[in-house]
Amino acid sequence: MATLQLNVNGQNYAVNVSNPDMPLLWVIRDLIGLTGTKYGCGIEVCGACTVLIDGQREHACVFDASSAVGKKVVTIEGLSADSSHPAQKAWVANQVPQCGYCQSGVIMTVAGAMKAGHHGSEILSEVKNLCVCGTYQRIRQAAAML
Amino acid sequence: MTTQTQPSRRGFITAATGGLTLSFLLPEINRLGELQAAVPGTVNTWLQIATDNTITLTIGASEMGQGSFSALAQILAEDLMVDYAKIRTVQAQPSVTSTRPVGASINTVGSSVTRTNFWKMRDAGAIARELLVQAAMNLKGDQTRANFIASNATVKHVPSNTLLAYGSLAAAAAALAPPSSAPLVPDSQFRLIGKTQTRIDIPEKVNGKAKYGIDIRIPGMVYAVIKHCPSFGGTLASQPTTPRGMLAVVPTQVIAGTGRGTEVTGAVNAVAVVGPNTWDTWQAVKSLNVSWNLPANAANLNNAKFMADADALLASATPYVAGGANPPGTLYTVESMGTPGTAIAASPKKLDATYTLPYVAHACMEVLNCTVNYVPGISCEVWAPTQSARAVLQLAMLITGMAANQIVVRTTYLGGGLGRKAETDFVSQAIQVAMAVRKPVMLMWPREQDFTRDQYRPMAKVHVTAGLDASANITGWSYRNVSPSILGQRGSVLGPKGDSQGIEAANALPYNFGARLTEWVSHPSPIPVGFWRSVGASINTFAVECMIDELAAAAGMDGYNFRRAKLTDPRWIRVLDEAAKLGNWTSPVSSGRARGIAIGTAFNSIVAEVVEISAATATGVKINRVSCAIDCYVAVNPGGIQAQLQGGIVHAINAALYGQQTFVNGAAQASNFNKSRMIRLQEMPQIDTFIIPNPGAADRALNIGGAGELGVPTFAPALANAYFKLTGNRLRGLPLFPGATMGGL
Repeated sequence: MATLQLNVNGQNYAVNVSNPDMPLLWVIRDLIGLTGTKYGCGIEVCGACTVLIDGQREHACVFDASSAVGKKVVTIEGLSADSSHPAQKAWVANQVPQCGYCQSGVIMTVAGAMKAGHHGSEILSEVKNLCVCGTYQRIRQAAAML
Repeated sequence: MTTQTQPSRRGFITAATGGLTLSFLLPEINRLGELQAAVPGTVNTWLQIATDNTITLTIGASEMGQGSFSALAQILAEDLMVDYAKIRTVQAQPSVTSTRPVGASINTVGSSVTRTNFWKMRDAGAIARELLVQAAMNLKGDQTRANFIASNATVKHVPSNTLLAYGSLAAAAAALAPPSSAPLVPDSQFRLIGKTQTRIDIPEKVNGKAKYGIDIRIPGMVYAVIKHCPSFGGTLASQPTTPRGMLAVVPTQVIAGTGRGTEVTGAVNAVAVVGPNTWDTWQAVKSLNVSWNLPANAANLNNAKFMADADALLASATPYVAGGANPPGTLYTVESMGTPGTAIAASPKKLDATYTLPYVAHACMEVLNCTVNYVPGISCEVWAPTQSARAVLQLAMLITGMAANQIVVRTTYLGGGLGRKAETDFVSQAIQVAMAVRKPVMLMWPREQDFTRDQYRPMAKVHVTAGLDASANITGWSYRNVSPSILGQRGSVLGPKGDSQGIEAANALPYNFGARLTEWVSHPSPIPVGFWRSVGASINTFAVECMIDELAAAAGMDGYNFRRAKLTDPRWIRVLDEAAKLGNWTSPVSSGRARGIAIGTAFNSIVAEVVEISAATATGVKINRVSCAIDCYVAVNPGGIQAQLQGGIVHAINAALYGQQTFVNGAAQASNFNKSRMIRLQEMPQIDTFIIPNPGAADRALNIGGAGELGVPTFAPALANAYFKLTGNRLRGLPLFPGATMGGL
């Protein structure tokens, strides 16, 4: 047992984990209870679990929770209080999601790319997330607004 | 507050509780229709207009990204004369008995929700509107209907210039008997139908608020992770020891009605480890030492054997006998006109080709999962991302022995369904685990289990022979599809035409074939198979449209012109023309590129695609553009149809390029996305779509077509036909790049 002090979406959490290498994904979903970050593959191939850690895109399914201690974690729930992040607005305007399951990860990837100063097609080259529904064309349209 | 129940001729029931409630039964498509009769007289949908002016549509369909909820609200709003955005949609819970507005299930399969409920929603809207108008007429003491106008959720009494909100009329309207019919809004006055509307579910899908099955959290809940025998048909040999820190290891058996092929009722084919959270439990599963009994036939459960069996059945199979046992390997004659064998033999040009398609996994983004809170003797609550909520209810009744009114089924959003979540094996496991541990429990399948214990799109081998005369007429067409039976694995006794799912899009084709023979043979492979987006059409349209292209080439004709000359249905010709126009078929293609075309049908719609490709190598091909035209008779939400076609095309690209599952000793080999590649955004072609304008929405005789699965069937043959033009090589087996892997992000 270990207690990890984590900061997620601006809130501090003291989380008891059996092992400090529990991936951040499961700490966020099962122990903290924020379920917007999704499990897709567990092997860093699909990107559904993408979060921002100190502004950098990370794949929470393989990111040890202990490595997030002392850093600021942002999940889809913390991207904006009212869905007002430009990526969220662009996603609604272009009616991007279908089942929507992968979109938290896609939007966090886009938000990370924007934070790194990218725009439009530069953002798109960063989006490698899998979307089995096949919303890629509307993702392109939405990213073109950013 | 009054309560009254008054069935009308059309089956609408008003039951007022604080306003006007119309309850009714929406017809549903059941892919197992041959097995299960519809439950008669069951109410499954409620329209409520409350005295506070809220309008609520409670409906039992599942939302998996296809936009059905939004489309149904859109249709309802048209004739109810209200703003579409004002309609609240509520996910119903299934019920086999309730007449209260808790909702019920509607199987969400077969691209069916919008198309099969179009008229029912329109009637409901119109009848509710007329009840409200009648209430206004009574209130104003004026029985002249022409003096009243319903619009924007109000009834206006023109002579007195009085506006009455629907909510203020709802209680009075509830006391009236619903008319058996009411006038519908003429097509020319449509405000909503045929116009793109935004989807209701999208706002909560961009901020993490949308709750999928896997997001259910119950106080005190525990987490179960499944581990099946690696080989299909295997069973648990001995009860494993519960690992330290874990609550239990629960053996789960195959419940009647949930197992397919190798997975027989009563077999203990998996264990679920139960623990405090997903990760710790999953780790315990990974290191759990489980011994399994492999099936005696395990060595035969491999691809070489499946292919050899298919080849043998293409050469020779025992015909169906009415009333006979008709075991797997039986030959069914689907349609027969003339003697194609003789006609082809006498033709100057004879074509003969065999097309091979693999098993393909569904791989929904959200893995299978289900949450159950079982309180012995009291209640059982089930949260499931399911396409078959009523089947879930019936399953819970069967396993728990509880009455329907002790069970609550809550359909969550589905993170993709694709046909896999119409099955209930995962639900049955969650209920068994909950009954064993007596705590609220979520059972999840790690991605590796989801890939390796799927109910796959069936493999198939299809042999086609055809003849051409000197004037490029097709003289004969002989078609034999050998594939495992989806319905057969569900206990259906197949009739003389075989499996209705297996022959989809193979028969009654509007081509002038001359003599024709269409046959289907049930392949004996017991690997579990199931419904996969577009089902049989994903197999048959590939074989049919590739052979048509081979015939065109043999006749020295362009693929588009050849099809146009042979098609006998003007609607098909129109769709073909529109796809060709959209794909610039008649314009020269850029250097290094080639185009292919294909047309087909599924779920009453007709669709054609032009695929433009370049840069074919041993490991890849660039798909530059896909142009898709559809005739679905009535297009409710064109933007939604466009999204579904785009999505269906991506589904088909993934399958055509990379999708396959293979087996060694009954064990599936591709266990995650890294071993079963799918396209990323960078590989996405430009997709253009065209929807044939409605031929007349107000004609009830028209058979409305679906859209959700329609992007799929014609992509692979159009790709193969483009590939031939680009490379000179016929592509007769899918996927194009078997075994393709994908790296990390």
